[in-house]
This record gives sequence, structure tokens and C-alpha cells, in this order.
Amino acid sequence: MNEAPAHRLAAMSGLALAAATAVWWLGSTRLALDHGTDAGAFADHALKALLLVRALALAMVSVRVGALRGWRPGVMAGLGLIAPAWPVVVLAWSAGTRSAIHVALAEVLLLAGSVALPMIGLGLRRLLRKAELAVVTATLLGTALMALTWVTRGFW
Amino acid sequence: MTDTIAQSRIDLAATPAWKGWTRPGRATEVDIRLSVDTATRATLDVVAGRQVVRASLDLEPGRIVRLQVPIESAEAVAVSALSPAAPPQRREIRIAHSESPLLGVGLVTGDPVHLDGFHTVALDAADLPRNASAYASIDSLILDAPTLGALDERQLGALLVHAAECGRILLLNVDPRVRRVLDEAGGCGGRTLMNAASIADAKEMLKLSLAASMLPVTALPGIGELARPDHGTWNRVLIILAVYFAAAALAAIFFSSLPVLLLVPALATVAMLALLHFMQLSPQLGVWSEAASGMHTARYQAWQRFSGLTRGRTRVSVLPQFASARPCDPKQAMRFDFDASLGRATTAEFDTRLFRPISLCYSGSFPVARTIAIDAGPDGLLHVRNTGSMGWRKGVLLAGGLVHELPALGPGGDAVIHSRSGKSFRDNVVRTAMVRTQTDGAAALWELDLGSVADSPLQSTGWLLVSIPPP
Repeated sequence: MNEAPAHRLAAMSGLALAAATAVWWLGSTRLALDHGTDAGAFADHALKALLLVRALALAMVSVRVGALRGWRPGVMAGLGLIAPAWPVVVLAWSAGTRSAIHVALAEVLLLAGSVALPMIGLGLRRLLRKAELAVVTATLLGTALMALTWVTRGFW
Repeated sequence: MTDTIAQSRIDLAATPAWKGWTRPGRATEVDIRLSVDTATRATLDVVAGRQVVRASLDLEPGRIVRLQVPIESAEAVAVSALSPAAPPQRREIRIAHSESPLLGVGLVTGDPVHLDGFHTVALDAADLPRNASAYASIDSLILDAPTLGALDERQLGALLVHAAECGRILLLNVDPRVRRVLDEAGGCGGRTLMNAASIADAKEMLKLSLAASMLPVTALPGIGELARPDHGTWNRVLIILAVYFAAAALAAIFFSSLPVLLLVPALATVAMLALLHFMQLSPQLGVWSEAASGMHTARYQAWQRFSGLTRGRTRVSVLPQFASARPCDPKQAMRFDFDASLGRATTAEFDTRLFRPISLCYSGSFPVARTIAIDAGPDGLLHVRNTGSMGWRKGVLLAGGLVHELPALGPGGDAVIHSRSGKSFRDNVVRTAMVRTQTDGAAALWELDLGSVADSPLQSTGWLLVSIPPP
């Protein structure tokens, strides 16, 4: 797979994640409006879900692509994963109770992660010298990061 | 200048109506007096629960500014006055919440009155409120002639509105002319406005009144029962997101350049923020009113709903024709700007966000003239007559669980309706009207013309339900 299809695939994956969250959020909101209850909690859940899902995907993809193809393709794949959700994030923030600073900080952290994680993958490749070993190690590291993200999700 | 500040002083006094008693969840009133020794401008804040009432006042030495602010249910009310020329003043008032029904007794003799199950509050004329909404605090009221005579114009006005809204009032030895005025204003066919010659009679009449069924006094339907959920904003957001996802998918298919793939969501984000900011959604106004055939007043409940679009503060005008403005959701934080000269709130300010409609509720009464008589004839024919002095427009007749068309009739006019020709079709409004109609009785439903309501939004609907006693 060349560089362009790699980040196109990441962008499509990011789009699919954002669309799935948006469908769930709008559906829950519609039910809340029909029942006269506050839809704000669903918006907050959607924001958290978007953050968590993108962080998990980023942990796996960025380190692995960084090890396999280098830092720049890793960054591009990471950005392709996180950017498509921005419009949904803005709408969910408008409907939710979370502060703008909190949401902006989360997006900055994701951007920082998309820049830093491929560097780890690249570092592994240079350290281990063998591409196959680097990719396997990067995949294991990515899985560990995903697990860490999942375990610490309550603190966000 | 420093000396002036040191010498200036605001005298602030705040007294709750009903000697500080109310019922949980019921509105009451605070009487506030302000005076200064140096001319200044002051801001008065009355904080009750999550609601703030703010008034800007021009204070002059030697003149006492007095205002009666209606407040929502709260156990503590903080009243503070801020002025650039004087140190801030703050008073805290405790409001006692009675779990038992409250009986207000205004007798100059101070005779003790006890009614089983009620908590009695002895009142002076000054303890009675100037806002009709504050009458929600008490369940029954006994007033003698001297106390009634000591009420000022605004207190009398509020008492008349309370009488029109079927408030249970017992007058003791009141002058016949005054009684006539009150009788004419009394709602529910005068059943809730009683006259007695002695305290013993008064207690007996109150007991009989409490034992009797008072269907019209039941709470009016709320916004949830009548207003359909507003899906306008939701539909728009759905379309916006669908367009975005389609555009982003096309960009991902046809462009492989990363800047393009980043630019699409970035531009879409900015566009969505701008769209939400500039999108205009008209507020909605709904009015539900009820009266009984032949009565002079109809009670109403109105709500003004604002659809939330963006995160931020929204400031709206309080409709001047409607009384007792308050948030429909008591938990909703809201600030009202109170005009001391008008004695009412003029604007309301609250936080909004997307998909969060905020509603202002109003309640009160208005004069009405609808007198209807129905005779059930043989062969299932209903003979409907306008026995009043005013004509009515085309409406709907609810009888026997069916909905019939009611033709426009002038004074003395009549019409024959086949009881089997009715339809069972029921929308929210008709369903609510049916629920509120006695099973053996009938009711007429008319759409109200809200064109004369100042600042009324484009989407305004109002209904008047007139119950007709069984033939």
C-alpha cells in the first residue's frame, strides 16, 4: 500500500467513526427531545466516545504506521483519523455541558499524539533495525497504549 | 469623594408576603424598601433559588422606593443593593415551607382560627401580596371588612385576580357593595368566593367548600401535554451533518492530498459554527385557557418556547399581556430584569445550548363571554344554543367522546348537531380537551386569536375550552 491510499484509508476510517458516533448521538437526542428530557448528557457522552475511539485508533495506527513507513506517513494517517470528527465535536460541544477549554484541550492532545506516536514507531524501527520485528513490536506497543487509554478513560 | 462614599448609605428592608410562609414549589413575593441619603443609581438583586430578579433604580434622598418582587419557591431569598456611591447592602430572608395547606387569616380582632389539617397564618393587611401569582402560596384565605378596607389598590387588584382564578376566599362581614364587586370578579361561578357572618360560619363554609369537588380549580395542562416536540433544529443539524459526511466521503474518494482531506473537516467545522450562530428560529407561543359556560373569566396557562442553537446567553422580552412570567422548568437558572415603574419583569436572560429548548410559562385570567346550552333531543340530536349576549366563531364541540364541528352562532342563535356525526380523530389539543371534559358533560373548544398579543411570535396558537354542564 502506498502513502496516499494509507492516509485515505485512515481518513475514511475517521469519517466512519465520526458518522457512527453522530448517528448514535442524533438518535439519542431525538428520543430525548420526544420525551422532553435534557439531551445534553448524550452530547457529553458523544464527545467522550469520539475522544476515546479516536485515541484508541490513534494509539494503534500511528505507532504501527510510524514503524512501517516512517514519521510523515504516520502523522498523516493520525491526522486523517482524528480530523473528520471535528464538525461532530463542535456540534456535540454546542449541545453539551463540557467547557470549550476541556474540549479544545482534548483535541490538542489528540493532535500532539498524532505527531508524537509515529515518532515512537520510527524510533523502534531504528532501534531494532529489522522492519518485521519493528512492526510487531509497534503493534504490541500500540495495543498496550490502547489498553492504557481504555483503563484510564475514567480520568478524562 | 472619599468622604461622600463614607457618608452615603442605602437603607434596605425586605419583607416576605404571608409573614414568610409558603408551600413547597409555590411562588411568593418579597416587599422591598430602599432609601438613600445621597442621590444615586443602584442595582437591586433578588436571588431565590436559581432565579435572579434584577432592577435598576434611581434613588433620591427623602424618597422611599418600594417594590414587590414575585419570586419562585426557595427557602432563602437574598436581597442585595449595589451602588457606586454607597457600601453594598444585603439582607437574607428565610421563607418557611409548610407541608400542610396554608390558611391565611386576616382578622383585626386577632381571633384564633383553626381548621383541621391546615396551618393557620395570622395576617395584617400589609402581609397580603401585590402580585396575584403570590397567592399560590396559600390555599384558603379569610378576610374581615377592616383588613379588606386596609388593602391598597394593587393588593385589591391581586385579590380580584385571585378570586377570578378560583382562589378560595372567605369574606367576613363585608359591606354588600364591596361583596358585589368581588362576586362579579369571582371565578368558578362564585363557588370559591364565600361570605360569612361569623368565624364559626366561616369555618363551616370552608369545610363544605373543601369537601366539594372543584373541577375547574385543577391545574391547567402543562406544555408537555400540549406542545409537540420541536424538531426543527434537529432536522437542520441532521441535514448539515449529512451534507458534511457526503462531502467528506467524496473528498476522500477523489482527492488523495492530505491538505484537502484536512481542509474539508476544518472548513466544515467553521461553517457549522457560523450556521448555528446565524440561524434564526422563531420562538413559539402556546396558550391554553379554560372557563365554564356563563362565567366572566377564563384561566390561562401560556408558554413561550425558545429553541436553543448555540452555547451562550440569550435575552428575550417577557410578553407584557401575560402575567406571572417564570421558567417552566423550576430548575432552570434565569435572570429577570424587573421594571420598578411597571411592577413587572420586562426581559428574561438564560443560558442556551443546542437541542435545549427553554420555555417561559405564564398564567393568569382574562375576561370571557361564552354561554352555551345543550339539550339532548330524541334520535341523537344535540340542540346547541348561544344563550349569551356575545356571538362566537366556528369551533369544535366535544360531546359523548366525539368531536363535532360547532358553527359560528350569534347571540340567541342555535344549531342542531347529530351526535353520531362526530369524529373520533384526536390531535394533542383535542385529546387534552377530552381529558378535561366531564364524562357526562360536553365542552366547546375555540382557537384563540393571538394577533393582538404584542411581540407575539409568528408561531402562536391558543385555545379556549368552555365546559358545558350536563343537560
